Amino acid sequence: MSLVIRNAQRSVPLRRAPLRRALSALLAALGASRFDVALVCAGDGLMRRLNGAYRQRPEPTDVLSFPAHRLAAGELPRPRCRHEYHLGDVFLGVEYIARHAPGEDLEGVLTVTAAHGLCHLLGYQHNTKSEWQQMYQKEEEILEKLNQLMGTNLRPLTAGLF
Amino acid sequence: MLLARALRAAAAALPAPRPLLAAALPPRAPRPGPVLPAPAPAPSRSLWQLGGGGGRAALLRPRRGSAGGVSCGCGGLHTEGDKAFAQFLADEIKEEKKIQKHKALPQVSGGWELEVHGTEAKLLRKVAGERITVTFNINNSIPPSVDEDTQEDQKPDEQEPDITSTPNFVVEVVKDDTKQTLVLDCHYPEDEVGHEGEEESDIFTIREVSFQPTGEADWKDTNYTLNTDSLDWALYDHLMDFLADRGVDNAFADELIELSTALEHQEYIKFLEDLKSFVKCQ
Repeated sequence: MSLVIRNAQRSVPLRRAPLRRALSALLAALGASRFDVALVCAGDGLMRRLNGAYRQRPEPTDVLSFPAHRLAAGELPRPRCRHEYHLGDVFLGVEYIARHAPGEDLEGVLTVTAAHGLCHLLGYQHNTKSEWQQMYQKEEEILEKLNQLMGTNLRPLTAGLF
Repeated sequence: MLLARALRAAAAALPAPRPLLAAALPPRAPRPGPVLPAPAPAPSRSLWQLGGGGGRAALLRPRRGSAGGVSCGCGGLHTEGDKAFAQFLADEIKEEKKIQKHKALPQVSGGWELEVHGTEAKLLRKVAGERITVTFNINNSIPPSVDEDTQEDQKPDEQEPDITSTPNFVVEVVKDDTKQTLVLDCHYPEDEVGHEGEEESDIFTIREVSFQPTGEADWKDTNYTLNTDSLDWALYDHLMDFLADRGVDNAFADELIELSTALEHQEYIKFLEDLKSFVKCQ
């Protein structure tokens, strides 16, 4: 498994090692440790550009996921060659997240947001209420495993969406 | 191979001269003897004729076969090409000074002291019992310009992208109670920095890490040098966090670009002024 982390923004001080530890644990909880994931910590400019290009919403946002496979919710890819081990890319809008969660534990908020992004890579969606419930349950499950491992108390991102 | 210059014992340097003050070098002192008159607008041949019969008291000493050049006693050749070159340089210097973004070198936030010695700059900081030094050289620090395809797409009225200096930089960390300096060689990604908008990669990367004896000017080749090309990602993240805890993070890397660009531009203007003085007889 290869987890590549990039910090492409300058506005928010970040520590990469704790983020890596959390994401590795989340991938293990998803049963996806053998797959590769890229996580980019992005500023408003990059998030605005990507959001505009891929969702026609040229504004910063908290997370954008780019899955490498089309999967049913919770399904894992069946790779036939090395490059199919790549699950996809998750862009965390770090500047946006920090701005919308002042005074909160930034590392915790980033972890919860990244968990949401990882679930999107594995086919989870929240376009309907039932899809959201399924995704919420999965986020709750993997965050609970993380909480037990790290002594945190993290809750899913999309609580109260529907 | 880590940059040996990082450990060179450099004398504390004076700050680079401000380019808006008088020219960096004094005019070349004339040799004893006849003094040149003010340069005449006449073609070079007329200067030959003014020289007369070649007596020692002549104002000009014509030199036969020198392709239109004249000797004025300063020991240099003066051609029409030189004159045009000097004028070109004067215009160039004027234009460069107009577009100069920073007349003085910008500060780097976080309590860093700056020492400049020619093209080499050193930022120093003390954090608890540690001394952190960041050294870079502005020579060869401007990445290649955009490729031809991009230039063709550019509209005529669009401004050319700003020139930025993205030097490699070496971070040295010395703790008070150790005799070893941890040396980290850092680079900016080649293709991505300086473009408008944010790119998707790290602002800077650590390329090599080594321990070197503190205070020794000579680089120790026999000390192990860690290359990060195939390094475990988790270890790499710890190294980046180590630097970030000491003030060397993305924001710092950005400010270093501003400083390096300003220093490079300053040195470039100074070089043009020196070149003009050299070419043009004063």
